[in-house]
Amino acid sequence: MKSDSIGNSLNQRIFTPTILNCLVTAGSVLLCLLVLPTRFVGMELAGIGPNWLLIWVVAWSVKRSPLQAALAGVVLGLIQDGMTAEQPTHVLSLVVVGVLTSLIRKERYLQEDFISIALITFGMAVVSETVTALQYTLLPDRSRSLLDIWTYHQLIALSSAILSSLWAPIVYVPLNRWWKYINSQQA
Amino acid sequence: MYSLRRWWDRHRGYIVLAMLALGVGVFLQQTNGGLIYEIYRLLARPFQPPLWSEAVLRDAKLQEYQQRLEELESQNQQLRDLLDFKGDQKQQGLAAPLIGRSADHWWQQVILGRGKSDGVSPGNIVVAPGGVVGRIFEVSPNTSRVLLLSDPSSRVGATISRSRFMGYARGTSANRAVMEFFDKVPDVRRGDVVVTSSFSCFFPAGLPIGRVESVDLSKSPAPEAVINLSAPINSLEWAVIYQNRQTAGGSSCNERGDRSTGGTTP
Repeated sequence: MKSDSIGNSLNQRIFTPTILNCLVTAGSVLLCLLVLPTRFVGMELAGIGPNWLLIWVVAWSVKRSPLQAALAGVVLGLIQDGMTAEQPTHVLSLVVVGVLTSLIRKERYLQEDFISIALITFGMAVVSETVTALQYTLLPDRSRSLLDIWTYHQLIALSSAILSSLWAPIVYVPLNRWWKYINSQQA
Repeated sequence: MYSLRRWWDRHRGYIVLAMLALGVGVFLQQTNGGLIYEIYRLLARPFQPPLWSEAVLRDAKLQEYQQRLEELESQNQQLRDLLDFKGDQKQQGLAAPLIGRSADHWWQQVILGRGKSDGVSPGNIVVAPGGVVGRIFEVSPNTSRVLLLSDPSSRVGATISRSRFMGYARGTSANRAVMEFFDKVPDVRRGDVVVTSSFSCFFPAGLPIGRVESVDLSKSPAPEAVINLSAPINSLEWAVIYQNRQTAGGSSCNERGDRSTGGTTP
């Protein structure tokens, strides 16, 4: 009888927050996916919007292990592949971004605030577009010339980096607060 | 064995969650994100514009008529002595709201709010006030995705309406396309109207694409012209979807100049 009630309270202490956490996390991903096809006024530069999935991957990876970061990159990359086209794949760029973000020694170089998150996002957006451009360069089918790819890369990398870094806090701050809260609950 | 068991007990939750996440990822990739676009359309519904009454679009419409007229005049001249001239059957188009744009920066796509349940299928043509916009390559029950003419992987057989010189146009990612000619010295000038050619197997012949903006005859291997696409893709709110009877054509579609699918179809 007694052990049963202990089990119940354990259930409530561990499992309810876990399920809630999963729901909030998945919900935030869904939100990012749904904002992806929009181009609101003030959110676009030359027809290019922020890379919301990249922002999410950065926010997720900042305080997690490279493995977790890579997993997030794979899942979101697969989804974005489905939403656009499979070749070149978005999995690679998002995995690279996630792993790099989780490997940055933040405690040494960067403060943990949204300015540094904006900085990381800026760099990672450039990295991610470069990975895509490299894939285009190495792709066997030549629908774009090298010159086209790399001129376009400059435009995209810059606009996407500026916009993504400006909008990164809007994803990072609430998610970070939530994960902190959940961790303190579970501890 | 015991330590394996303990490891499993400790990490079971995370592994199951990781598998679940991967499963969702694979599912969404395999279904081409159809579920997400359906939800997106549902949420975007209240924000859809009521009518395409903007001044920009009206101007574009006028321009389209002007170009069509020019094209028809020129075509008429040619067809007068052809006996097997088939009359242009009028086709009813399906108006569709534009509900979103490409989900990444490298592809020039738009999302329309009509899908399989309205009879839309891959290969259908999308026309906007001003001219052709692109063709549909992916449908979900209530949405469809359009590969725009301005996408670099989109190629379409094109003709200079005035002089009937042919070539193919490929997108250059803004509101422009580059037309490469088959002839070494084509008769083309700034301001010429460009329409889809009869060699194009993804688009019916004679649809307006745009106007020539500049010409580079010295370009190698083939002379090039930069075309300004006449449909205002950036301010588009509605488009019209037409069935394409020509796709049944088959064999001629292997020609190099009109491989509009690019890498989009898996």
